[in-house]
Amino acid sequence: MWRFLGTRIATGALTIWVTTVLVTLLIHAVPGDPVQIMYAQSQGTTPEQIEEVRRSLGLDRSIPVQYLMFMERLFQGDLGNTIRGGQPVLDVILERLPNTLVLACAAMLIAILIGVPIGFLAAYREGSLIDTGLMILAIGGISMPHFWLGLMLLFLFALELGWLPVSGNGPLNLILPAMTLGLSNAAIFARLTRSSMIDVMQQDFVQTAYAKGLPKSLVLRRHVLRAGLLPVVTMMGLQFAFMMGGAIVVENIFSWNGVGRMAVEAIFQRDYPVIQGFILTFSIVVVVVAISIDALYAVLDPRIRRS
Amino acid sequence: MATDMRGRSASPGFWRRMLRSPNGVVGLAIVLTLIFCAAFADVLSPYDPTKMGTGGRFLPPGGEFLLGTDEFGRDMFSRILHGSRITLLVGAVAVGISLTVGMLVGMVAAFRRGWVEAVLMRGTDVLFSFTETLIALSFVAVLGPSLQNAVIAVGVAGIPFYARTCYSAALVETSKPYFEASVAAGAGPARLVFAHLLPNVLPTMIVVATLGVSTAILAAAGLSFLGLGAQPPTSEWGYMLAGSRDYINRAPWLMTIPGLAIAITVLGFNLLGDGLRTSLDPVERR
Repeated sequence: MWRFLGTRIATGALTIWVTTVLVTLLIHAVPGDPVQIMYAQSQGTTPEQIEEVRRSLGLDRSIPVQYLMFMERLFQGDLGNTIRGGQPVLDVILERLPNTLVLACAAMLIAILIGVPIGFLAAYREGSLIDTGLMILAIGGISMPHFWLGLMLLFLFALELGWLPVSGNGPLNLILPAMTLGLSNAAIFARLTRSSMIDVMQQDFVQTAYAKGLPKSLVLRRHVLRAGLLPVVTMMGLQFAFMMGGAIVVENIFSWNGVGRMAVEAIFQRDYPVIQGFILTFSIVVVVVAISIDALYAVLDPRIRRS
Repeated sequence: MATDMRGRSASPGFWRRMLRSPNGVVGLAIVLTLIFCAAFADVLSPYDPTKMGTGGRFLPPGGEFLLGTDEFGRDMFSRILHGSRITLLVGAVAVGISLTVGMLVGMVAAFRRGWVEAVLMRGTDVLFSFTETLIALSFVAVLGPSLQNAVIAVGVAGIPFYARTCYSAALVETSKPYFEASVAAGAGPARLVFAHLLPNVLPTMIVVATLGVSTAILAAAGLSFLGLGAQPPTSEWGYMLAGSRDYINRAPWLMTIPGLAIAITVLGFNLLGDGLRTSLDPVERR
């Protein structure tokens, strides 16, 4: 088990390290002069000011030196200042990150609560009309663009019916974005749960359980469900990453004040320190969640726990 | 032609199974319709898709303008038809990038083994945990928003997944007797990769790529929706959807129609991929 987790943690650390390198290089990959581009939109910037920014970003040094400077500041918790407003990037991100995490977690909960029972039911009734119907629904759900679903929910529940607010950051405001993100992922969970359960139902140990005369409900609960949910748990890490990615779009539809909306604004404004901070934060969150889920998986699966 | 295809496909009876799978048939029908629309968009469109004031503003669907008009009085039907061209092209180019590079990486890693394999696959692992969204967004952040950059971004973002899939498929092949026999017979690397590995991983990769077209189309439409992809006056569906937000009360069809177009396209490729998988892969057939 420790070997399994050790590999995962090493890959995660490598990912974050590669991110820091890529983030430093990112600004150099921009076609043209990044500082000029950043200030192209603001009027009356003097050449002296531009030189000042270039120095403060370390762009007048060689790339390896820039990287070391970046890492040194990073370890001091300094991600630089935003180009628009000059606030510390870390503060801006930390202020909004909880909103994104709340959205992603709520969506994950919705996706699991809807997707897993549907998948289980379909597997239980494999080959029946219910199964076919549910799986048609699921493939439809997977094909639905979440930004379209978001707009339609917004139109229906906020504008036509007026039950929920259009935008903002209260608890009621969470419902629509979380539903948007959750529903489109519920279909993925449903399909995965179904195929995993069907797989398990054909295994020898399930046949043995039936053969020794256990009632169906007990076999399903004790044997099939436990073993069948393991692949679903493994997928949760990847799904969380999808949710974080999906949050970028959904936050923009519902004006949810998270890091995704911040990132898109930063791309439009060419605010590179914010973009760098966002990429780094995103990959750290995804890596940490993935490792936590791998740890959970290792504890749940005896084959790994005892290895 | 049927005999030809049957002779070449990985498992016999491919077309028979394909035509028996309801998913595959519906998917194929949708995709062929889309290709038809895209190919004959100029002939089928009653109006110029970018010409403003073709009709009045916000004319509802039905009547002279089949799908209504938008905020500039442009004909929605013509715009949707021309949009299919962009969508299919976006899907094809993005998947083409992911597939070509991904297959090359996967096959070389499985074939070369040793440190080449270690470097390529660890690199792929790292990029994979980066997630496609972040890779795509970073690319657009660097290159700047445009449809072309969005397609490149989506294509590059898909590489790790294709590389991984191709790698595991190729790895299975390299351990089969025919492959070992070929190595023993002294076949060179080019022959081994292109004559043996490639045709045998191709069925798997075709399924992955077909399903991948839908993912790529969704991702690119998502970028355009955010304003990071297609720019005006393109009739790209994601971009049209983004513009509809401001008129959601006044002209809801501006939202429903492009959204439906994306959903049907993506559904078509998903169903086709599903049908292909069950027809091509005798092991996974159920």
